[in-house]
Amino acid sequence: MLTRKSLARYSGYLFVLPYLALFTVFLLIPLLYGLGLSLYRRELLTSIPARFIGIGNYVEALHDAYFWKALLATFRFVLVATPLTVCAALAIAVVLSRTSGKLQTFLRAAYFAPTILTVSVAGILWRWFYNSEFGLFNAYLGHLGIKAPWLTNNSWALISIALMTLWWTVGGPMVVLLAGIHHIPPQYHEAASLDGADGYRQFLHITLPLLRPVLLFVVVLNIIGSFQVFGQTFMITRGGPEMSTRSLVQYIYETAFNNYRMGYASSLSWLLFLVIAAFSAVQFRLMREQ
Amino acid sequence: MLRLVKRFNEANPDVNVLMQRMDWSTYYNKLFVAGMGGRAPELFVLQTLAIPRFARAKFVRPVDDLLKQPHAVDVRDLDANVWNAVSYAENHYGLPLDIWPMGMYYNRRLFREAGIVDAQGEAKPPSTRDEFLDAARRISSTTSGKPGDRWGFTFTYFESNLYSVMQQFGGEFFTPNLDRCIINGPNNVAALQFCVDLIRKEKCAPPPENFDSWIGFRQGKVGMVFEGIYMLADLQKQKDLDYAGAPAPVLGDHRAVWAGSHNLCLRANLNAKELEAAWRFMSFLSNNSLDWADGGQVPARRSLRDSDRFRHMTVQSEFAKQIPYVKYLPRIPFIFEFQTEFNAAIEKALRGSESPKSALDTAAANLNRIIQREREAGPS
Repeated sequence: MLTRKSLARYSGYLFVLPYLALFTVFLLIPLLYGLGLSLYRRELLTSIPARFIGIGNYVEALHDAYFWKALLATFRFVLVATPLTVCAALAIAVVLSRTSGKLQTFLRAAYFAPTILTVSVAGILWRWFYNSEFGLFNAYLGHLGIKAPWLTNNSWALISIALMTLWWTVGGPMVVLLAGIHHIPPQYHEAASLDGADGYRQFLHITLPLLRPVLLFVVVLNIIGSFQVFGQTFMITRGGPEMSTRSLVQYIYETAFNNYRMGYASSLSWLLFLVIAAFSAVQFRLMREQ
Repeated sequence: MLRLVKRFNEANPDVNVLMQRMDWSTYYNKLFVAGMGGRAPELFVLQTLAIPRFARAKFVRPVDDLLKQPHAVDVRDLDANVWNAVSYAENHYGLPLDIWPMGMYYNRRLFREAGIVDAQGEAKPPSTRDEFLDAARRISSTTSGKPGDRWGFTFTYFESNLYSVMQQFGGEFFTPNLDRCIINGPNNVAALQFCVDLIRKEKCAPPPENFDSWIGFRQGKVGMVFEGIYMLADLQKQKDLDYAGAPAPVLGDHRAVWAGSHNLCLRANLNAKELEAAWRFMSFLSNNSLDWADGGQVPARRSLRDSDRFRHMTVQSEFAKQIPYVKYLPRIPFIFEFQTEFNAAIEKALRGSESPKSALDTAAANLNRIIQREREAGPS
């Protein structure tokens, strides 16, 4: 019979059980199934049974120009979108922390509002904004004699998508960072003021160091999210122009669900997983050191 | 379509049809997965391009034997090219419900302003390459204010536009037995070069957009576009655009336009009772597909297109004139990969990143690799 003592002993496991069950059914098992699948030639368009090919799919990926192109586009997106989003979120959070009352509530809600839009709505909206011949942005820029190639230039397109991502996602990290700033004891800033430190020095020597754990958390999440970019690029450019914005997740999606090459798509997914895992490991190590 | 389903259910109390609408972007994935589990609907719609995929995976049932049974549809009422397009490995895998050919929409106001009119002063759409080029140049040069606010022509949907022009130039895509891709043949290169020249040399078409050149037409800034009949519903809502539809002009040496069809298809493992009911419903839809045409489609049945009611659908009936020479995409199971390579080549060429020859050579090489992979996978 379950005694109070043994219940107390196992209560921790009981608390994690619901999540563990969902994690196992919907993540762990599919993940392992995917790993197994990545070792097979499994193509749903043929009635030929799946065939074990070992690391054949991985070898194919390493020789696949589209894989490298998609990986490069993904890296470029991470490099542009993550610093942009995190810096903007930090700047907004710092400014908002200096406001108070209803103004702060309003501004916080205003910056957070785009986050609640679905990617399809945000994507369609920005696709129209960016249209270089007939879009909203170029209609205004046209008055200044400027016509920006938002989505038609291979280099601009990715930056345009990063800007849209900034608008769409900045609210999440901003709220987390704002909460982090609120947790910094106000005495530190008061003492620094008395010592004559201006706002910039206070930010540099008090806010930023004390915010570092939260900042690293935001950076890690943002990098993982950026590596998995799909919705924005798919909605705005479909991966164009010339596949310059086709992310690895989009390539995986197309391989699996347009071309039904499940084995190959699984191997691509695992390669992406390894890349994200490597980046995350480095960042967690950095966090530990802090 | 819902009205047709209701009518059928009322007239056939022993059958209950439940219609489910789905977004195209996820439709085939869901249908395919349902097919794998043997749980696809008894009757479903496949675009012509998807038939080889589903037929090869054995998810869809041939209809040839049903044509001799009660509720039969006379396939002689279908154009040979339309009926042939649903065949795969010597069987027919669906009943074409409609045809959506590409055609030309043109802005009548811009035509009149450029002086491209007939004896009555009405806008006169081009039907030949020379007339097309003349119209495109004249409309582009009528810019009164800012440069670039008016274009004679713009590419909208690369695939339909270029597939049509390449076919008009006599281009081929695969060898007859589908064992080699020949998309980089001289006729296709010439067709693509002609299109590149419209942008770079003639400057009567804007550099390619990713998507929304269609919006430019709707805003009254573009004289002509080649688009599918399915875009008509968009235009019908717009009262301030003076537009009309016409067959696409012949820019090469042959008449040809890209087209697709919605086809009614049957799940592979139906029992006798399900099969009879599904076939009865398919026949009903086919016989009543003129109602479906109201939404901007062209019925596949010739007899319905010959009716007065259809003739009064002006744009549809103009586009329908092209049906005898419509060209469907190649009948291959790896059609989506073909589309990816085809569109990539067009995009690179139209944007000036690569020459037409180089872009098509790359597409051919990639597609030949896919053919090799398919061959290794087993028989088609």
